[in-house]
Amino acid sequence: MDSDIIIKLNKVNFYYGQSRALTDITMNFRKNKVSALIGPSGCGKSTLLRLLNRMNDLIDGTRIEGEIFFEEKNIYAKDVDPVEIRRKVGMVFQKPNPFPKTIYNNIAYGPKLTSMNTDDLDTLVEQSLKQAVLWDEVKDILNKSAMNLSGGQQQRLCIARALAMKPDILLMDEPTSALDPISTAKIEELIEELKKNYTIIIVTHNMQQAARISDETAFFYLGNMVEYNKTEKIFTNPDVKHTEEYITGRFG
Amino acid sequence: MTRQTKEIIIKYVFFTFSLVSIIVLGLIVFSLFREGLPIFGKVSVKDFLLGMEWYPTSDPPSFGIFPLIIGSLIVTVLATIIAVPLGVMAAIYISEIAPQAIKEILKSVIELLAGLPSVVLGFFGMVVVAPWLQDTFDLPTGLNIINASMILAIMAIPTISSLSEDALYAVPREFKEASYALGATKFETITRVIIPSALSGISTAVMLGMARVIGETMVVLMVAGGAAAIPGSIFDSVRPMPASIAAEMGEAPFRSAHYQALFAIGIVLFFLTLFFNLVADYVSHKFRQVGSGTL
Repeated sequence: MDSDIIIKLNKVNFYYGQSRALTDITMNFRKNKVSALIGPSGCGKSTLLRLLNRMNDLIDGTRIEGEIFFEEKNIYAKDVDPVEIRRKVGMVFQKPNPFPKTIYNNIAYGPKLTSMNTDDLDTLVEQSLKQAVLWDEVKDILNKSAMNLSGGQQQRLCIARALAMKPDILLMDEPTSALDPISTAKIEELIEELKKNYTIIIVTHNMQQAARISDETAFFYLGNMVEYNKTEKIFTNPDVKHTEEYITGRFG
Repeated sequence: MTRQTKEIIIKYVFFTFSLVSIIVLGLIVFSLFREGLPIFGKVSVKDFLLGMEWYPTSDPPSFGIFPLIIGSLIVTVLATIIAVPLGVMAAIYISEIAPQAIKEILKSVIELLAGLPSVVLGFFGMVVVAPWLQDTFDLPTGLNIINASMILAIMAIPTISSLSEDALYAVPREFKEASYALGATKFETITRVIIPSALSGISTAVMLGMARVIGETMVVLMVAGGAAAIPGSIFDSVRPMPASIAAEMGEAPFRSAHYQALFAIGIVLFFLTLFFNLVADYVSHKFRQVGSGTL
């Protein structure tokens, strides 16, 4: 049971300056599962996600208490280099954010940082784009700017870019909220496919999306984790009344 | 009065005011050409621009401004070589690296630098830099190309730095986050994402800095040495175009050939600055439109 836990949070509190954004979060994320974080805006779900690859380090005046273990190692220990963590924990953002570079160079950006040789790079770019189901659409325009792609393609490019680092975990922060329904469906299919090889933690505002794609769902409210369980259970028979009210749309 | 008439009146008031400044500028350019062009009845354009001798008061006078053009260009290029690394590095440090407190201090110091009157900088070049150069390198005079270039570089740094800083700030936060999330360090993010994205803005900053330097008068008048000859080394004196105009206009008789020649130098200078501004404009537009996709 314990062996398939990849991330473990232990009494995590998080502060932006004086205000507390997360209170006493203790939870485990399981390997090769899709875990969804849901809750109203400002409930701390994105903050939690950004804690897992230490992206919140980039914001001045933030502070964390507690421990987050990634494969048994506390990623907030003093001797841990956040750069190392971010190479193992990929992230896809809310708004597609390809670099203003060519499609090829977008994918190659991360691997080049780790000084790979170029032969492998071509294979890796192809492989990553195939994984993100984008290869057929872009294979002839690899040297064109990524900015010319549609929003949905850009987002799949961003996923491919994250995959090129061969991460263990993929964090997704509302990856479809800026996309149309067709692109959203494609991304959801992709997530379904990716969970065979990756652990995916996704923040979403879209309850149906959480129900469709996730194995486990955590409901957050005002910086607290209200309920965390199998998605099926959360959506059919939640233990907490609050969760039920949110899911059925009575507040939020 | 109906609301509509008010709108129309306001529209024309603003139109009139913008027209005034355009007309005034147009008239200045017109008088520049009216006073300067007649010289080309006495000297051919080619002899004027490429002539090697500038003896406006000899008899017969010779009006070759090639040494002056070279003087301007060499001083500008050298000042740019000094100012660009300093200005751009300062901008990168301020916008990306420095902690808040240091950032504020540095920004105000650089703004202060921009506020220094050029005559003060010229004075500094004359009484501090010149004697030091003279002693250190054992030169006949410290008023020379390198001195003028250094002082001009100091004048260009605030322009280059503050405009580059704006360009760096304008790089979307999303690009930086994407880079960090892929495991890039701060240095890698700066060199591979932030600078390429801001490159058009930085180039514009450099061009405008150069335009500022080439038109600067007081500094080159005071510290460039004033020799109207092609320099052999960076320790030689030169006489850049603005310095010639400023130094000689007072003694040139009204509407004499000398007077007209000085105005014609003004025309050349006008085209040079115009060129720099157009290039700056072109660079900033060109890169923006294609999404800098090939960087």
